[in-house]
Amino acid sequence: MEDRHLLPSEIDLLLDGDAGFALAPLRAHARRCPDCQGELAAARRLMALLDDLPTFAPAPRFADRVMADVQVFEPWYVTLGDTVRRLVPASRPARVLAAAGALTTAFVMTVGVVALLGRVDLLVFVTEFVAGRARAAVVATVGNAVTAVFGDLAAGALARSGPAGVVLGVVAFLGSLVLATLLLRALTLAFHRQRS
Amino acid sequence: MPPLDLANLPDADVVALAQQGRERAFRELVRRYERPVFSLIYRMVRDREASEDLAQDSFVKVLNHIDRYRPEFKFSSWIFKIANNVAIDFLRKRQLDTVSMDGSPHAGSAAEVEASSFELADRQETALDELEAREIGTAIERAIARLRPEYRSCIMLRHIEGRSYEEIAATLDLPLGTVKTYIHRARNELRVALEDVRE
Repeated sequence: MEDRHLLPSEIDLLLDGDAGFALAPLRAHARRCPDCQGELAAARRLMALLDDLPTFAPAPRFADRVMADVQVFEPWYVTLGDTVRRLVPASRPARVLAAAGALTTAFVMTVGVVALLGRVDLLVFVTEFVAGRARAAVVATVGNAVTAVFGDLAAGALARSGPAGVVLGVVAFLGSLVLATLLLRALTLAFHRQRS
Repeated sequence: MPPLDLANLPDADVVALAQQGRERAFRELVRRYERPVFSLIYRMVRDREASEDLAQDSFVKVLNHIDRYRPEFKFSSWIFKIANNVAIDFLRKRQLDTVSMDGSPHAGSAAEVEASSFELADRQETALDELEAREIGTAIERAIARLRPEYRSCIMLRHIEGRSYEEIAATLDLPLGTVKTYIHRARNELRVALEDVRE
């Protein structure tokens, strides 16, 4: 080590301070040898220049451009979790209040359901009542629609014929719709062919 | 409930959130790495518009395959690897003239060195090149631009990103010894180039 200057690779070792290499003799030589001291100082200046190099920024809307090409698939449980999390109030008192409200509602509903289950006859009565009302509403809506489109005669015939008549009527209506569409399409094609 | 503060989470956690399909996590990864990735590519390619496109490609490749990320590796190493590959591919296609006189570092004989060495810059500098050179600016930047692309990426990762030799080897898929050789040669070339400037 005494009779020669530091090699460039040895200067790199001193700069990087790699563990596992015997750096002490190299350092000792650099301290004694003005030439190697100069080399080391120049190398350190280069390191400082490199370490101080700035980073460059892309255009301001870069992230938006990237995200336009990225397919983000959010699973349903994540969406659900986020929605629930959004519903939770931010402040502590509001959270306590919301929790109390939710607990009270859950308690009242549980009591109601248990009470209802205890009265099966009442449950059957309520179910039948609601189902009857719903059926009547549907029949009235469909009847009104049929009357509006086809007139009172068709509506009366449909009402008299029962469920089989209703099914037949629906099939006939859909069939005429398909036929009309096909006919219109054929006419349009023929018109286009004639023009061209 | 306050939204999760992604800025304080480590990369691995942000990636895990991105893997759950959270768009904010994707944006956070872009925010963290847009400057380093763009800088790496810009210094490799020296063309702002192309660098933006290549940086965008790198991010899109990484983020669209985020489910393939393996947490035992650093996310930064993964994205730098993709960015470096994208830039090298671009340079190969464009046959850029940023070369050194050295032959391939893998060359085993003088003949191989000669066979694998490049000619010095033979392309006329256009007005655009000059503009870019002025933007990138200083003598050190010009000297870096003249390094071989593989030396350049090693120097960038070592000095600008502060990566260890081992990380650079893992990022660029190179043997550790090769990385040390590249950095050593790159520093020598830079030292010589800057001496010329001082003279």
